[in-house]
Amino acid sequence: MSAGAMRNAAAFVTGLPWAGRIGGGLVAFWLIVAVAGPWVAPHAVGAFVDSETFSPMSGRFWLGSDYLGRDVLSRLLSAARYTVFLGLGAALVACTIGTTLALTAALWSGWVDEVIARAMDTMNSIPSKILALVLVAAAGSSLPLLLVICAVTYVPGNFRIARALAMNLVGLDFVTVARARGESRRYIALHEVLPNMIHPLLADMGLRFVFIVLLLSGLSFLGLGVQPPYADLGSLVRENISGLTEGAPAIFAPALAIASLTVGANLLIDATKQEKA
Amino acid sequence: MSGFSRRGLMGGALAGAVLPACGHAAALIPRRGGAVRVATQSVSTADTLDPAKGALSTDYVRHYMLYSGLTKTGPDMVTRPSLAERIESADRITWHFALRRGVHFHDGAELTSADVVWSLRRHADPALGSKMAGIVKQFAQVTADGRYGVTIRLTGPNADLPVILAQSHFLILRAGATHPDGNGTGPYRLAQFKPGIRTIVTRNADYWVAGRPYLDRIELISIPDEVSRVNALLSGDVQLVNAINPRSTRRVQGSAGHAVLSTPSALYTNLIARQTQLPTGNPHFVAALKHLIDRDLVKRALFRGYATIGNDQPIPPFHRYYNPAVPQTGLDLDRARWHLQRGGLTGVRLPIYASPAAEGSVDMASILQEYGARVGLDLSVTRVPADGYWSTHWMKHPLTFGNTNPRPTADLVFSLFYKSDAAWNESGWQNPRFDQLLLAARAEADEARRRAMYGEMQQLVHDHAGSMIPVFINLIDGHDRRLCGLSPVPAGGMMGYQFAEYAWWNA
Amino acid sequence: MSGGAGPAQGGLAGLAPMLARRLASSAVTLVLVTLVIFALANLLPGDAAQEMLGQSATPEQVAALRHQMGLDRPAALRYVGWIAGLVHGDPGQSLVAGMPVREIIAERLPHSLMLAGLTTLVAVPLALIIGMGAAIHRGGWVDRALNIGTLSLVAIPEFLVATLGVLVFSVWLRWLPSIALVSAEATWGETLRSCALPILSLTVVVVAQMARMTRAAIVDQMDRPYVEMARLKGAGTARVVLRHILPNAIGPVVNAMALSLSYLLGGAIIVETIFNFPGLASLMVNAVTSRDMPLLQACAMIFCGAYLMLMLVADVVAIVANPRLRAQ
Repeated sequence: MSAGAMRNAAAFVTGLPWAGRIGGGLVAFWLIVAVAGPWVAPHAVGAFVDSETFSPMSGRFWLGSDYLGRDVLSRLLSAARYTVFLGLGAALVACTIGTTLALTAALWSGWVDEVIARAMDTMNSIPSKILALVLVAAAGSSLPLLLVICAVTYVPGNFRIARALAMNLVGLDFVTVARARGESRRYIALHEVLPNMIHPLLADMGLRFVFIVLLLSGLSFLGLGVQPPYADLGSLVRENISGLTEGAPAIFAPALAIASLTVGANLLIDATKQEKA
Repeated sequence: MSGFSRRGLMGGALAGAVLPACGHAAALIPRRGGAVRVATQSVSTADTLDPAKGALSTDYVRHYMLYSGLTKTGPDMVTRPSLAERIESADRITWHFALRRGVHFHDGAELTSADVVWSLRRHADPALGSKMAGIVKQFAQVTADGRYGVTIRLTGPNADLPVILAQSHFLILRAGATHPDGNGTGPYRLAQFKPGIRTIVTRNADYWVAGRPYLDRIELISIPDEVSRVNALLSGDVQLVNAINPRSTRRVQGSAGHAVLSTPSALYTNLIARQTQLPTGNPHFVAALKHLIDRDLVKRALFRGYATIGNDQPIPPFHRYYNPAVPQTGLDLDRARWHLQRGGLTGVRLPIYASPAAEGSVDMASILQEYGARVGLDLSVTRVPADGYWSTHWMKHPLTFGNTNPRPTADLVFSLFYKSDAAWNESGWQNPRFDQLLLAARAEADEARRRAMYGEMQQLVHDHAGSMIPVFINLIDGHDRRLCGLSPVPAGGMMGYQFAEYAWWNA
Repeated sequence: MSGGAGPAQGGLAGLAPMLARRLASSAVTLVLVTLVIFALANLLPGDAAQEMLGQSATPEQVAALRHQMGLDRPAALRYVGWIAGLVHGDPGQSLVAGMPVREIIAERLPHSLMLAGLTTLVAVPLALIIGMGAAIHRGGWVDRALNIGTLSLVAIPEFLVATLGVLVFSVWLRWLPSIALVSAEATWGETLRSCALPILSLTVVVVAQMARMTRAAIVDQMDRPYVEMARLKGAGTARVVLRHILPNAIGPVVNAMALSLSYLLGGAIIVETIFNFPGLASLMVNAVTSRDMPLLQACAMIFCGAYLMLMLVADVVAIVANPRLRAQ
């Protein structure tokens, strides 16, 4: 990162309201955990280290042990990686596809717009968890498939937002001028329209990320999550649900992790929106 | 009768088990009345009133409420005549059943040999989709012998026929009932049936066993989600549930008004190493796997002690034919490593297919993966959904998991899963000596000789088959303490699915 | 809004061609949906015959049952047969339950609609109150508290919310049933009681998003000149929001609500599972697992149809409510 970028980042952070800074802190924390977590984990993800199950927090097991007597902290550190990267990856894919289609629809309009809109409606009208159920039954659960399911689910939502934004911009003078200059639609889309909608698009991507994290936890309830012995945060909550009445940290730690990650991301997004306004 | 009543499967050890805590001593005299709601774990729009098609616990419970069979295996695991009054066979090939007289269907018609013959013959029709299609191939002929007599001639001797006929699939329907509607001779009459939602039955006052049943009304529903099922029990919405997770037993026991009914059973989830494929067909590979299984960990962590350690053969220690002389295999990483080296298998990579369809298999696979990594075996867990598991994965890959419910006889479990030419010879092993013993034991009338044969078969399966059975899993029910008369029956949860006939409400 | 009567009539007259166009494109979407659904259903490994016979299937039995179910016909023929049936209003025969799909759905659909309807009755007013409350107190502590509150609600996995609800209200307090025992014989009071927890859980899931969109839409309008004008005329904040802002903000609000509400049918699967609610989503999951294609396809068509209808209603409401959109 260059010095200028650093200064920009610093200015960005100091310009945020307090809620945004907390959100940014939480998001940064989970990003670091996702990258470095597995290296600092005290035990292997699948190791059976405790003869007790659902044991409470202790010096030996900071977050207690899970329903099979595995170390919750180690599993949490590994799960954060899956959740964060799956969520980010899927959000990126969803928004890239959604925005590309939206720009195409806005600039070509007419029947192209109509066809894309119908395709999006079709995708959106199929309940995502049931789509996931069918695809996992057909192809077997795998990380790429989970990514595809999450991405496909949120393409239409992003398309809706991006198309509305693009439509507003397409009617403006500078686009008309560019058209008069004889620029190609591709050029206009990438150089005139896209840069002017990147801010709300990033905010939308953040929101999609939050939705995807929650969708993943819903999928894990249906047994469609990451393959064992690995797990994402939602799977951790699900597999330890019988520890709920015992107040086991095995269930509350991953639940808190999901909450802090999604609330943090939301606060950050809200703050950047206000920033712009 | 006593000729075959001794042949009840897992008698002895459990027959004398006391009733679970059920209030005061005075409460031990059953009394009539009460309505209960009961929840099982399996639900499907395929719920059926047809005993031949029964596939899930909910079906079995429903069918035993509505229909009766020629024979009946009681809570003491002794099989006795039921709709048949007398059973005779000199050669264990031709069997004569004399029917009880004066038994009536719910619609008032009297039970006759025509009903029995019709009910047994229909299993042979492939279009029916009977779960017993394989077994009825042994029926050479089923004929009426007057109004109250039925003769079954088998293709070969089988001393276990009365036990086989006590299964819910062989319950007796009214002749001509191609789409059964609940009209049977059982203890309850059907009041409402909505597939996938609920079954409601009311007491059959004309039931042919005097005094029974006790409950006025039973509503049978399904709650597939285990946590929800236990919550429904604890919040008083249902009075009896089956298939409780061992991890939930603490909660149930912690509640003053509820109790756990744990039944040691022959249910097992086994790892299958296909002998027809490599590397799983390599004897060293199988031997290594058998020494890689931490049976104590499986019993403790997965089942919280609600299990019996297994020894890679399907007859549990509490079975009357159990052979204690077979040495117990245990966790031994050095032996496992040695076998892998001898077999040239170190560093082999292989996926294990596990599924919620086979209870506990996903966690067992995780444990195996962990130990495998320590001896240089790279096993990865592939979890697949429960639906489609049996048709697309089970026995199709080198390493998969099977799940075998308790069978009424040793002959059945050996014939179905270990005979060389069986359709579900899970590991695909071939052992002529085993096959020969199987047929001989089936025809054998002498108990001691039969026991010796089954004993040798256990040793053979333990030594050579590619089937790893870490533990036998207890069946755990939970119930309201006011529901009395329940006792553990190894044939299945909820008293071998027959609680409705024996349970009574003490309030 | 007495002054709005005149243009509204003109706008409503212009609504008819717009409605017709939207209906036509919805029909196109539905046709696309039938293709996608049928293709998806055929991706599933195994078939109803194998699933029904289960572990104990013999090859002859599977073949016989397959023939009986008509599964041995080519896929294209089955698709055409299905569409032909749909056009005549007959979604076919369930392969597994052996009864008409229409009967099975007639049993479940009212349950699902009731749950969705009751949840809407609770969630929509709640979301409007929260959203407007936050907007009116924009930047104040009420706004922040509501913001954090709704965010935290949405951040807890749905199944955890539902399970916690059961633990507290059913197991510990014993106020409400832990499972939804809805049946035709139950009285309204009983039904409401047994649906209380499912409604509560679903409300938690959908209310946050709706409230946040409501707040955003209102805040978006608050800085517009006409709001300034109204304020200058001396109108109170609440009055400004209700009389002046809400009609203008209603488009995005209704849109967000329609999206959230469409979740209440097909997305209710987790709540249906936990409360054993006999609704359409669990029926469809059951159809997937038992490979009951006609039933699966019928359920999917209902979800898609409901979604399209909600979107249509949202657009119409937005146009009717907003004079500026009518003019376009």
